[in-house]
Amino acid sequence: MDLLKPAGKKVVLLGNEAIARGALEAGVGVFAAYPGTPSSEVPIALSRVAKQRGLIFEYTANEKVAFETAAGAALSGVRAMTSMKHFGLNVAADSVGPIAYYGTKAGFVILVADDPNGWSSAQSEQDTRYYSRMFKVPTLEPSDPQEALDLTRFAFDLSEEFHVPVFVRSTTKVSHVIETVTLGKFKKPKTRGVFAKDLEHYNNIRPGLQKLHRELDEKIKKIEKKYGKKINKVYNKNSKQKIGIITSGVSFQYTMELLNMLGAKIPVAEINMTFPLSEDFISSFIKDKKKVLVVEELEPIVEEFVNKTAKKVNPRLVVHGKDLLPSDGEYTLELLLPVFEKFLKRDLKLDLKAHKRKYDNILKGLPPRKPVMCYGCPHRSTFYAVKEIFGDGPHVIYPGDIGCYVLGIFEPFKMQDLVVSMGASIGIGHGITRVSDQDVVVFVGDSTFFHAGMPELATLRFHDGKSPLVVVLDNHVTAMTGHQPHPGSGFTATSNPTKAIDIAEVAKALGAEVRVVNSFNQKQLKQALQELKEVKGPRVLVSRGECRLFWKRSMAKKGLSWPVFEIDQNKCQKCGVCTDKFSCPAIIKDTSGALPVFKIDPNLCWGCSVCAQVCPYGAIRVKKEESK
Amino acid sequence: MNYDIMLTGVGGEGVLTTQVVLARAANFDRYMVEGVQLHGLAQRGGHIPAFVRLHPFNQTVSPAVMQANADLILAFEPLEAIRAAYYARKEKTVFLINDDPLKPVYGNILDIPYPSTEEIKKRVSGFAKEVHVIRASETAKQKFGKKIYGNILMLGYAKAKGLLPISEESIIKAVKETVRYDVDKNIKAFKLGLEMGR
Repeated sequence: MDLLKPAGKKVVLLGNEAIARGALEAGVGVFAAYPGTPSSEVPIALSRVAKQRGLIFEYTANEKVAFETAAGAALSGVRAMTSMKHFGLNVAADSVGPIAYYGTKAGFVILVADDPNGWSSAQSEQDTRYYSRMFKVPTLEPSDPQEALDLTRFAFDLSEEFHVPVFVRSTTKVSHVIETVTLGKFKKPKTRGVFAKDLEHYNNIRPGLQKLHRELDEKIKKIEKKYGKKINKVYNKNSKQKIGIITSGVSFQYTMELLNMLGAKIPVAEINMTFPLSEDFISSFIKDKKKVLVVEELEPIVEEFVNKTAKKVNPRLVVHGKDLLPSDGEYTLELLLPVFEKFLKRDLKLDLKAHKRKYDNILKGLPPRKPVMCYGCPHRSTFYAVKEIFGDGPHVIYPGDIGCYVLGIFEPFKMQDLVVSMGASIGIGHGITRVSDQDVVVFVGDSTFFHAGMPELATLRFHDGKSPLVVVLDNHVTAMTGHQPHPGSGFTATSNPTKAIDIAEVAKALGAEVRVVNSFNQKQLKQALQELKEVKGPRVLVSRGECRLFWKRSMAKKGLSWPVFEIDQNKCQKCGVCTDKFSCPAIIKDTSGALPVFKIDPNLCWGCSVCAQVCPYGAIRVKKEESK
Repeated sequence: MNYDIMLTGVGGEGVLTTQVVLARAANFDRYMVEGVQLHGLAQRGGHIPAFVRLHPFNQTVSPAVMQANADLILAFEPLEAIRAAYYARKEKTVFLINDDPLKPVYGNILDIPYPSTEEIKKRVSGFAKEVHVIRASETAKQKFGKKIYGNILMLGYAKAKGLLPISEESIIKAVKETVRYDVDKNIKAFKLGLEMGR
């Protein structure tokens, strides 16, 4: 495994693996996380090596618990880390401010992965660097996997030196990038510590609160002074050019490649610490310049600081940034090229617009390939049954949630009417039910239920009247992010067995009328839904069916095969229910002849049998030969 | 030298594993390697664009290939070859297409037919110096029992056609270090690809 290769080796690592390696090189003793892409591969990598490296590794019910677990360990003198996606920080945020005030004993690092362009997230393109400022948490920002490794390792030292938690902020194009990385030395993890009582320090009731606040401000000033000039870098230092570029994150990589393409050797400032930004560093870079271009994805945080600093040291400086570049989405070489050409007054004469027009032309009339629920996905079966019972149209609202089932937003189901945040389906559904006579059926996953769904469900019992029907899609794991276990899975992050918490029992204890069904059984599903339709108060359907991808992988590992299904062409009435309404991607409609022919691809069928249950003519049956 | 490879296909069909094989092989041959590898939502049966960029160590190169700038496009699914043409141009790019259509369900639902292989070739021809179409998955299924070995077979074919500036030994070593199951069959598939390309 490349992650554990010795120091000095050059290996290809994913950005998130490089972050994991950085943590191992820093001797991280405790790592706790709730998975969230684009950060998920950090805990995945560490969970695989935790036993071997001797560190404590845990998945928690949500990011707040993960943050607190790591904080508790760090306050007890053990190097600790947590990782999360940008939205995860919203969940952890409640505890981040107070911990920043308290500070830490041992190094405490929080990796936050932002997702401009929403490759693995919907909802928003929030920029973590605002949190850095709000909570006053020093923030390091790598531009590629090598820097991700180095800065993660350094983050522990920085945290320990100044007794503050430290953010490492990455984005998708750092976390999900592979690169040749040179490895450093491991430090042996220390996993035992002691929490030293200190009521004088931990007293955050005023005036203790103000004292802690002042201390944090002092630490930030000291960090800016000591590392501001050291950690940020200047390239093409000897250039006499009066123009320059200030950049951070992956934009630094695009900048250097474009300058090379354009043959322009102008000074470039790479900001590796985006909080605190160093006034000394920016001043010395801009004081002799006529104009600068600030290249950063998302919000103009560095740009605003450059403007502020210019007012003091070089008021005539022209600062370009978001006047030429977008705040939304990701940057690319082709998006930046025309801006660089204009800024540098050079022209490569590549007609990329004409190329794009020609390209758009060849895309016409192609079938779209949006992401889709897997072959045999239990969620598809549940969506199908719910639509059969509750129908489609303005009379029924389907608030959605965060997980694979968000794919129910697409055809043919279109049953994620709005998706807000983890567990929000229940709260939003509750709000609608309070004011409207519409039927409300909400979908929430098992991992999401433990993450944020329980307080939402508890709220339903807390008032009189109608409640939304809560459908818990229980596929036993956190499927979307890579099949991590959750408190209902029955095994721990390091694959040890543990007692699973039963969602149905939790829902009963929270005051709901509960039915439990097998997701792969349409008859059970429909009957339970019919019964719960008549219930007025809190009601929960737990639809249980193992994630078919997880199931298929474990079958393959054991070398087992499964029955696959086929369509009896003599019985098929060509009604299209299997392809147009149920839409398992293993079922193919061949329209090359006069009449369509419906077939199941035996290479793709994962044998869930639900298509055979939904076929109105009983035309789908088990095929004789089996598949692997 | 700099060499930009784009890999495209459908999530869950081994595109990313193949990308890692290429990247590791290039690393063994002392290239600096960069590339994009997306995970999460994009992976579920959606189309997966992945890159491998080879370059010398003294250059800073970003992870994603620029529009109209790929040297080689490895399309593990034919429809996705058309969408990959964004990264291709007539003077530079070679397409290697695996003729194994995975018809998207949205074609069924929205009644949009899947284009023929001829149609696909026609559409990319304005963006390609050369187009190679091979039945890698089918051949792999017949010879070795599973379509998935077609991915590594494609690498063998590309190598034989002079489209990969990486040594055979390094690719085989990378397969051994990367592929989790049936390493032997993957290496056989690679060698079969080499033969087919010669």
